[in-house]
Amino acid sequence: MTRIARYCFVVLFLAGPAFAQGKKPAKPDTEDDYYKLLRFELPPGKVLEAGAIEIMPDGKVAVGTRRGEIWMIDNAYADDPTQAKFSRFAHGLHEVLGLAQKDGWLYVVHRPDVTRIKDSDGDGKADVFEVVSDDWEINGDYHEYAFGSRFDKDGNIWITLCLTGSFNSNSKFRGWAGKVTPDGKFVPVASGVRSPGGVGFDAEGNVFYTDNQGPWNGACGLKQIVVGGFCGHPDSFKWYKEKEAQYLGPPPLVPKSGSRIMTEAKRIPQYVPPSILFPYGKMGQSASGLDCDLSGGKFGPFPKQLFVADQTHSTVMRVSLEKVHGRYQGACYPFRQGFASGNVPVRFGKDGSLFVGGTSRGWGSRGNKSFAVERLVWTGKVPFEVHEMKAKPDGFELTFTRPVDPATAGKAESYTMKTFTYIFRADYGSPEVDATTPKITKVAVGKDNKSVRLWVDGLQEGHIHDLALAGVRSADGQPLLHPEAYYTLNYIPEK
Amino acid sequence: MRWCCLRPPLLAALAALVLPAAVARADASRPIVPGFERFHTGDKADARGGQLLLTELSCVSCHQPADASLPRKQAPILDNVAGRVRLGHLKKFLADPQSVKPGTTMPNLLADDPDRAAKVEALVHFLASTGTPKQERPDTKAVVSGRDLYHKVGCAACHGARDADGQPGKNLPADTVPLGDIPAKYTLPSLTAFLDNPLAVRPSGRMPHVVGGKEAKDVASYLLQGIKVDLPSGRGSTTFAYYEGQWDKLPDFDKLKPSASGTGPAFDLGAARRGNDFALKFEGVFKAEKEGNYRFGLTSDDGSRLLIDGKPVVNNDGVHATATASGAALLTKGVHKVAVLFFQVGGEIVLDVQVEGPALGQQPLAALVAATPEALEAKPAPPKKPADQDSLEVRPDLAEKGKALFATLGCAACHQLNGPDRKPIASALKAPALAALKGEGGCLADRPAKGLPAYSLGAAQRSALAAAVKAPPPLSKEPAAVIARTMTTFNCYACHVRDKVGGPTEETNKLFQTTQPEMGDEGRVPPPLDGVGAKLTLDYVKQLLDRGAHDRPYMHTRMPGFGLANLGTLPEALAADTLPAAPPVKFAVHDAKVKATGRFLVGAQAQSCFKCHTFAGQKAEGVQGIDMTLMTRRLRRDWFQAYLLNPQKVRPGTRMPAAWPDGKTFYPDLLDGKTPTQIEAIWVYLQDGPAAQRPAGLGKQYIPLVPDKNAIIYRNFIEGAGTRAIGVGYPEKLNLAFDANELRLALLWKGAFIDAARHWTDRGEGYQPPLGDDVLKLPAGASFAILAKSDAAWPTAAPKEQGWKFNGYRLTPDDRPTFQYALGDLKVEDFANPTTDKEPALRRTLKLTAGKATDNLYFRAAVGAKIEGAKDGWYLIDGWKMKIEGGTPIIRQAGGKSELLVPVTFKDGKAEIVQEFVW
Repeated sequence: MTRIARYCFVVLFLAGPAFAQGKKPAKPDTEDDYYKLLRFELPPGKVLEAGAIEIMPDGKVAVGTRRGEIWMIDNAYADDPTQAKFSRFAHGLHEVLGLAQKDGWLYVVHRPDVTRIKDSDGDGKADVFEVVSDDWEINGDYHEYAFGSRFDKDGNIWITLCLTGSFNSNSKFRGWAGKVTPDGKFVPVASGVRSPGGVGFDAEGNVFYTDNQGPWNGACGLKQIVVGGFCGHPDSFKWYKEKEAQYLGPPPLVPKSGSRIMTEAKRIPQYVPPSILFPYGKMGQSASGLDCDLSGGKFGPFPKQLFVADQTHSTVMRVSLEKVHGRYQGACYPFRQGFASGNVPVRFGKDGSLFVGGTSRGWGSRGNKSFAVERLVWTGKVPFEVHEMKAKPDGFELTFTRPVDPATAGKAESYTMKTFTYIFRADYGSPEVDATTPKITKVAVGKDNKSVRLWVDGLQEGHIHDLALAGVRSADGQPLLHPEAYYTLNYIPEK
Repeated sequence: MRWCCLRPPLLAALAALVLPAAVARADASRPIVPGFERFHTGDKADARGGQLLLTELSCVSCHQPADASLPRKQAPILDNVAGRVRLGHLKKFLADPQSVKPGTTMPNLLADDPDRAAKVEALVHFLASTGTPKQERPDTKAVVSGRDLYHKVGCAACHGARDADGQPGKNLPADTVPLGDIPAKYTLPSLTAFLDNPLAVRPSGRMPHVVGGKEAKDVASYLLQGIKVDLPSGRGSTTFAYYEGQWDKLPDFDKLKPSASGTGPAFDLGAARRGNDFALKFEGVFKAEKEGNYRFGLTSDDGSRLLIDGKPVVNNDGVHATATASGAALLTKGVHKVAVLFFQVGGEIVLDVQVEGPALGQQPLAALVAATPEALEAKPAPPKKPADQDSLEVRPDLAEKGKALFATLGCAACHQLNGPDRKPIASALKAPALAALKGEGGCLADRPAKGLPAYSLGAAQRSALAAAVKAPPPLSKEPAAVIARTMTTFNCYACHVRDKVGGPTEETNKLFQTTQPEMGDEGRVPPPLDGVGAKLTLDYVKQLLDRGAHDRPYMHTRMPGFGLANLGTLPEALAADTLPAAPPVKFAVHDAKVKATGRFLVGAQAQSCFKCHTFAGQKAEGVQGIDMTLMTRRLRRDWFQAYLLNPQKVRPGTRMPAAWPDGKTFYPDLLDGKTPTQIEAIWVYLQDGPAAQRPAGLGKQYIPLVPDKNAIIYRNFIEGAGTRAIGVGYPEKLNLAFDANELRLALLWKGAFIDAARHWTDRGEGYQPPLGDDVLKLPAGASFAILAKSDAAWPTAAPKEQGWKFNGYRLTPDDRPTFQYALGDLKVEDFANPTTDKEPALRRTLKLTAGKATDNLYFRAAVGAKIEGAKDGWYLIDGWKMKIEGGTPIIRQAGGKSELLVPVTFKDGKAEIVQEFVW
């Protein structure tokens, strides 16, 4: 789990019957019209604080919990979620935060190790628990979580190891990301991890993880894990001397506290700046699980984009990435709020719906349930949204999910842009600093009416560009479902 | 947030003048007025700064100001001054204040006076008649605790960081308020009394009240530790070496470099420079007057060890609460080397060493040791009398002369001192009114004439004072002006920012610390005061300013108490901060229903506010926000409504999440379904204060795991079984914990299995002990080893370092585990199961498959103080018994313990050992 949200409070969506059955929506155009949220009824008296989800080949869905159990959901894709059946497959594990299935085994990433489990006698319960790798240390601190991915194309599971107490690296490989290879070796790959909330892949198979606001993290971010990379928090440097890590050479330079991300990225070659920073309090407060929409359109108009959960806000956010200057960067957008608990794992099911699990233990969430398992299903209607915001040398290009009204979309007054960044420092979090207000000098609507080019005077390298599109209307006169986008402009593309 | 937007030019001017603070200046002995140093030392003559000096240097005590609202700073009250201050200090200080305490605001009244010495003598005799300070020696624990307090609670915000010896730190900012040579001035009781109630002596509140009682004594002890109490030159001394670092047991001192060393009082923890994460090595000699057995007792927190002539005699190692261990050594008559090793992690700090021997009753060892054999024989030095300069036989004639001088020199103009008639001595000094001054010459002259106070002013101060005298700036009564003036005068800006002025500087920022680092600056740095008057009730503001507070449990820095009377109209000026009024809420239901709704919203079924806020003293799960039951006493209702509606708007960057995002409720069925009504219900509920009924879900739970038909596996941090512990609860009411780090059976116990609440509620920190009874703790370390000979020492390296690997487990259909581990191709299957045939017992079967090199493999079945063989394969071990099948065990002695080893003999590559535990 992450440092997930230090403050607490749980609110928001409510679970009560009044809401669920609902009166007629006051406004016709809500998230619910496009993406339906289905809540599973959990077995009475059981506590399913979801930490991991996996899609099983037999049609079941596996849910790993913080209490160390694994539950199987049968009939998980039924239109009526109450028709699903839950059965316990395993227990006695230690905070399950990663599940990946392969060759009849379910690989479990939990605090002490990666264990693969299987039901060898067919009674529906796992009876073989084989340790695959335990080459990292834990010292009794609750924060030393281990998050795990699915298998990559080479058969590796990617692991992110949270710091001790989320500030220091007091046990071996705390603050590292690594992979467990098919032969069971743990290979440390990148340092600088602070408090991950999930790890997964983009459409091309690149590895990304979310890291949480705290020391050396002014806001939560989505970061790429590259071999030899450094993700920002230097306390993990002490483990470069371990034999498993020696292939990476000496540790990078220690970043200067109080500096800026891109200043340090230029000074420290190994430092990979966050691909996305999720503006704190605006987009979320505790970024967690992520998954990529590879459903080929079954989940709506955002194929190959990433969907990232937020534990505090009980939301799922949307991310589009592009490669600029050899690094991934891009924009994040609000997508769906109103989940029942603090979202942690997200995973696309076989039918292109998104399974979402939640827990609010220890870190409160807007969703007021202590735990939940939900499924987000596209209704087939296309919302009017910014499809993608891309950087240009002199501005941005926007694409939309539906044709725009050229009159409003072509007017500079329909848009406002602000920029800011965060201090890169050893202290916890950061205020928004270095604010600027660039000028949108020219706007042009594309021929297909589905794209808009913005020319911007005053792009700020290393800043988040906060774009509001209050005035933009669709061809049929609707406002955007979410009239905002935040682009993390680490690098300005060259002409 | 600030809703009132008064911003007179003064504030802009202040903002522009925030200077880099550390500026070394030539006029090093100028009086330090922090507000002046920080905001008014620009090149231009700054009349505002001059006006500040007029009060802070007490100019207006002699020169009557035209504007009576110009505040007057009361200098220290001198009744009983000699009961607080050492006479030696007074004498030097009166003769030349600025050289004795650079930065003092006390002027020199006798600068060029040829009779200075005589006059000072007379004044001292007069002042000496007011009392005599008590003496006491600072206690080392108090020094460590006081250092911590000094740097955390706020002392350092004005007075700057100080080093381990209580001396000023290096490169302090120019606005640091100097403290002078404190040990020369105060005794421990007198400084303690001063800190406990500074306003009694300095009623003007420039030195506010921060610590009281024991804490006052701790801070005083830290600042006075330099009091040179004579070091024992003979017995009672040891050498010490001091180390800093984090350990969980005594470190290997030979591999460490001490950060300090020397000779000091024997076994005195005062050699430590901080309260946690340190170690000390004391060395000295001890003379056994007779040959015989000497017993040594070692009481410590955390761990310690005593060595005689290099050999360990008492071992009290490890992280623990105060615990005593003892040991004995046979000593020949003569001198022996003594070493005591100690380390501290955190919490209490205790070290006590006792000795008892032939013709030697039990007593502290400290008095009998010495740093060197020579010192052991040295005669103790006679106790020194109090330094001569601090004692004085008061001569009445001189005292009378001094009293007259007190009135005529001008002392009485600033200082209050009751004469024998119990009336304050009046000043006989006449000075022109402020308005009549020219702003040059006089006190402002480079070298003021005899009879005028010499302040040793700096150039900027002189020009500022001149400007203020020539053209007194109007004393605006606008709230913003009053606030800025008062905050400058009382150095509120050292901690707080308001209107973008003040707040910690880059240098002082690090002094502000928190118990909740994850709250960021919000949890660390005292809050900005923008809009504070719209946030806090007027009564609460007054109470805060008057007496101070420590409402934020996560913040070390406390709000000091300044004495309300000193602050003039500040509370009312702050109250000019306004917020749009929250419309009144009318409830359609009776009060009890409203409170019940508020309680529901705060509780676990709704917003779980108590997860991050203390509630009536009950700690929260994660961060410890301000106690909710304090809120209605502190806060204004309008602010509470606005904040809950949109926390980020009111306090940008706060961790407090929006519970009604975009103002919308998600509880449409509660009350009238409107957000302000629901917020109001919480407000009404919280008005019951600490008596409010507890919200649902508050407090610790109890989650016992009870095996029914199947066994239960519980993998977590289990006390005594490590970080990778695997607890197994069997339906037969026997339980075990397997340590998957060391691949050993770690604990056996009877009855209830385990309470999972520690790990399954909140965040799950720490180790959980067994819930049941009769816990049998089995020895740490490897269970198997290859020994060259049967008497070779059992290896101490961790099993994983020896190449052992945990491979997991298989479960029976009723979930009983068989643990699997291996050393290369040597494989072990480890299955334990309760038997209840006769008496409750646990039967453990170890099945081994031989590897290539598994000759001379031994299984260590038990370790105890005493192991005896009994019949039928049973062994008695320290009060419990074990049966071994499948081997011929040997009992051997090693390291003062008995070990039961079973040589493993393979047959066709297989071996089986059965252990039955009865305890």
